[in-house]
Amino acid sequence: MNTINRRHFLKLIGAASTLAAVPRAVRAAVAPRVVVVGGGFGGATVAKYLRMWGGDVHVTLVDANPSHISCILSNLVVTGSLSMSRITLGFDSLRTNHGVNVMQGRAVAIDAHGNTLTVSTSTGNQVLPYDHLVLSPGIDFMPAAGKWDPTRTPHAWQAGAQTTLLKNQLSAMRGNETFVMTVPKAPYRCPPGPYERACVVADYLKRKGRAGAKVIVLDANPGITAEPEAFNQAFKVTHAGWIEYYPNATVQSVDSTTRSIVTSAKTVNKARVLNYIPDQKAGAIVTSMGLADDPTGRWARVDPLTYGTLAHPNIHVIGDSCAVPASVGKAVPKSGHMANSEAKVCADAIIRSFTGDAPDEDIATSSACFSPITNKKASWLSTNFIYGDIVDAAGNVIGKGMNRVDIGEAPADGVDGDSLEDMFTWAESIFSDSYI
Amino acid sequence: MPIFHRPSLACLSIALLAAASQPALSAPAAGQLLASQCAQCHGTNGAGPGFDSIAGKDDLYHELLEMKYRSHIEGIMDRQARGYTDYQLRLISDYLSAQSGGGGDD
Repeated sequence: MNTINRRHFLKLIGAASTLAAVPRAVRAAVAPRVVVVGGGFGGATVAKYLRMWGGDVHVTLVDANPSHISCILSNLVVTGSLSMSRITLGFDSLRTNHGVNVMQGRAVAIDAHGNTLTVSTSTGNQVLPYDHLVLSPGIDFMPAAGKWDPTRTPHAWQAGAQTTLLKNQLSAMRGNETFVMTVPKAPYRCPPGPYERACVVADYLKRKGRAGAKVIVLDANPGITAEPEAFNQAFKVTHAGWIEYYPNATVQSVDSTTRSIVTSAKTVNKARVLNYIPDQKAGAIVTSMGLADDPTGRWARVDPLTYGTLAHPNIHVIGDSCAVPASVGKAVPKSGHMANSEAKVCADAIIRSFTGDAPDEDIATSSACFSPITNKKASWLSTNFIYGDIVDAAGNVIGKGMNRVDIGEAPADGVDGDSLEDMFTWAESIFSDSYI
Repeated sequence: MPIFHRPSLACLSIALLAAASQPALSAPAAGQLLASQCAQCHGTNGAGPGFDSIAGKDDLYHELLEMKYRSHIEGIMDRQARGYTDYQLRLISDYLSAQSGGGGDD
């Protein structure tokens, strides 16, 4: 008994000094409250798992839209292979299966000291008190030089209306016309995504008999950033003559009216379709609240054991918006799969803070995905991280973080129809694990 | 121990309230968090939808070890298995073997 009391006492003192949430929950002796911002893979998963694992935890999920439209598989909506409904993920199951309170509205302000979030809704502002706040707002875009208007030249890097716009522009393309796209400077959402898009667009143009049409890929990076073997093979062999690839193409200016783009490697005037995908940063709620505190000022640094921000340990950032401490050259990728993975670590840590337990240190995160190369075959990518020492380029330990222990892509003979089938199995599974 | 027999009254009441508010919340089961990292491809608690159902499966540990230490990568699981320590694979396997297959996740 004494041992137990001592343990509780120590934990309370320890927790109280770092987490505002514990004393509040204890004082009120009611179900602790977690508010989640963003209903993408990170937000949906953290809401579901907090309820599934946390019992009496009260969870509110805030999203500006009535459902989430997935970027996963969205390149196949661009080519017309899949319908928009296939990638539209509703929040109903989170409500009915898991008891998540879903609120449609836009998170506009955080009172980090009063522990409240202000949400702008159709019926006015609502102030939501929280013990823990989880921000999973995805990405926002860096401004482009020139005259950039995404309603004319879609990025389609957030799925929905942008996806439809790009799909319509692609289907209107004729032979001998040019589809120009950019690959943002890393880090950006979904490392293989732009290369996958180039492949499925080229495959579409080929299948539709648009002779002489071309996909021009302007990559801000020095080379293909994900699945280099599969995409090099795809660009040079599978889609030879349909894709032109330019590395080190730093964007200097964009003109959405004339669909023209100037880069350090190549200038294209009057493309038929300009799919400019800008460089990226954390979602607006993160940057506007001053939480984007990594050296680039674009992403929120987090504790890899809790995803708590350094300034406010009970304000967590998961998914694309966070910068997880990692070994140099082995960054944690921004992907829906990784957001789901981080969401579970975050949910577990929040529940532990309520029970007075320290965060688990024996943790792992991962990402896996499948990338269509044509409408008949796909490649895959897999990467894994374990909490522990992280190192600089010379191998010197620089601290603790998520250390990449494995990364790899499909071997050449694994880029096939089976992997394409696997892609749909994976998508169904991650959609279900996050939303059902 | 004596030191902890004499917390302030405020601390003691906090501790008592904490104990009173805790029954609904308990520390997570061993392996639960690690095993949840399988769910993106095998469904929540390994019970699908997705690839092979792994809920309630016996001897997953030895299968995972075989994948992890296979010298020639055959599939994506040969890579994923390399993402965990042997001890973590043991925790994952033990947790999943105790789950009911094909059932709900509540």
